[in-house]
Amino acid sequence: MGFDIKRSISLYSYQDEYYDKKLDLEGCLRETAKTGATGVELLAEQMIRRFPLPIEDEAFREQWFGWLKKYNLEPSCYDAFLENHIYDNRTLTLKEQVKMMERDLHLASLLGFPVIRTLVSTPMDVIEGSLEYAEKVGVKIGLEVHAPFSLNSGWADGYLEMIHRTGTKYFGFIPDMGIFCKNIPDVVRDKARRHGASEECIKIVDDAYAKRIEKGFVKIKYDLDLGKANMEYRMANGMKEMMDAVQAAGGGPADMEYAGSSFTYSWSEPQDIIDNIDYIFHTHAKFYNMHEDYTETAVAIPEVVEAFKKAGYKGYLSSEYEGGEHLRADMEVDSIEQVRRHQEALRRAIEG
Amino acid sequence: MAGRQIYNPEGFKNIEKDGSIIGYQFEFKAQYYRGFTLSIIRDIKVNVDGVDEPRENIRLTVKGETFTLDETRTMIDPDYRWEFGDYATVTVLRDGGLSKGSHHIKAVQIIAPSYMPFQLEPVCETDFEIK
Repeated sequence: MGFDIKRSISLYSYQDEYYDKKLDLEGCLRETAKTGATGVELLAEQMIRRFPLPIEDEAFREQWFGWLKKYNLEPSCYDAFLENHIYDNRTLTLKEQVKMMERDLHLASLLGFPVIRTLVSTPMDVIEGSLEYAEKVGVKIGLEVHAPFSLNSGWADGYLEMIHRTGTKYFGFIPDMGIFCKNIPDVVRDKARRHGASEECIKIVDDAYAKRIEKGFVKIKYDLDLGKANMEYRMANGMKEMMDAVQAAGGGPADMEYAGSSFTYSWSEPQDIIDNIDYIFHTHAKFYNMHEDYTETAVAIPEVVEAFKKAGYKGYLSSEYEGGEHLRADMEVDSIEQVRRHQEALRRAIEG
Repeated sequence: MAGRQIYNPEGFKNIEKDGSIIGYQFEFKAQYYRGFTLSIIRDIKVNVDGVDEPRENIRLTVKGETFTLDETRTMIDPDYRWEFGDYATVTVLRDGGLSKGSHHIKAVQIIAPSYMPFQLEPVCETDFEIK
């Protein structure tokens, strides 16, 4: 089965340069094009000021499409945030939430995006209630599958049931490659060391992570109470034993933080991609630290890309750099170089 | 090894009204990766030199308009988002403001993005000078 894997960059990756005002929206698009990527993923709320007003304005859209033409880029995915607790005293009603989802589908279509990313906190009813509109504007809704969630799980089954029951072609999954971490990223470990974590505690945590992989992660269940589901997941994956061991070894705040952060990462079998390929139309190629030799610290890029090839994936792998958050308190972040290396690693894996 | 700048180093100052100092001001950037409506700010806590400022004395200014922390709760207008990478100004009403010289600030931005099962509570600390 032939594959058609294209490379995209989520502008989320350039957030540190944007924050420092070294890059504006056009600057991010220019950097994207320089890497050889042909797709661009946008968090409109991050880089479009006065969101959502400009998107409704024709002059802004002319500029947007002008930039895309200038840099030879194609919109790949629009990352939506369903702000259903926009007020602190209530949750938006189902109807309000569906309207907000439809607004995002509409905005995405205005900017030429074929897909929006929605988050795990979006209630099933809201997704189902928006499918008709998604079809009308021709924009698919992709649910991000981000650690601690995973494909081939009780959680994912809930969504597959909905897909089969409704027969929709407008909903599917956007896997985040953070679910394919062979170890805890080195930038996280280095940060723990800078903050005073001990080698003994670091080893306890790293060994616990290796043990989770060896035994296979216990999967998270479907529960709208995400806090509860997450805590059950952590406990089922040996959190208490690990925390007790860190404490017994005299662990302080930096050690505890490192131990807790280990649950931000998980390992799924790349086979999960192949099993679910019919429902995957976009992918977040999450990464944490690219070395000069184009290897990633934690994400199994070659193995995962191989699975996409084997599955005959037709879509984007969209670089999403998330290492900056472990550096920025102490040092400068060079997202531009990190993304350049990541795109090269993806290129080699796709073409290799 | 210089970390990211959170506070505007030029932003710390006492403020005057009708010839007397009624408080002090600083500017900082939100420690979150996108812009947001002021309504998802659940609180801003300010502590200078170890002293907590009362919530009712804190004001937030975004794009030229100033709000109390109760008013921000209903603020969803796109023209008053706290944009990613932009400074917002915090004013603390306090008779006499701060003394000239060095001070230490510890402020916490409590932000509640709807999708997160917990609130963000970044602690923002720095030393600064009142001239």
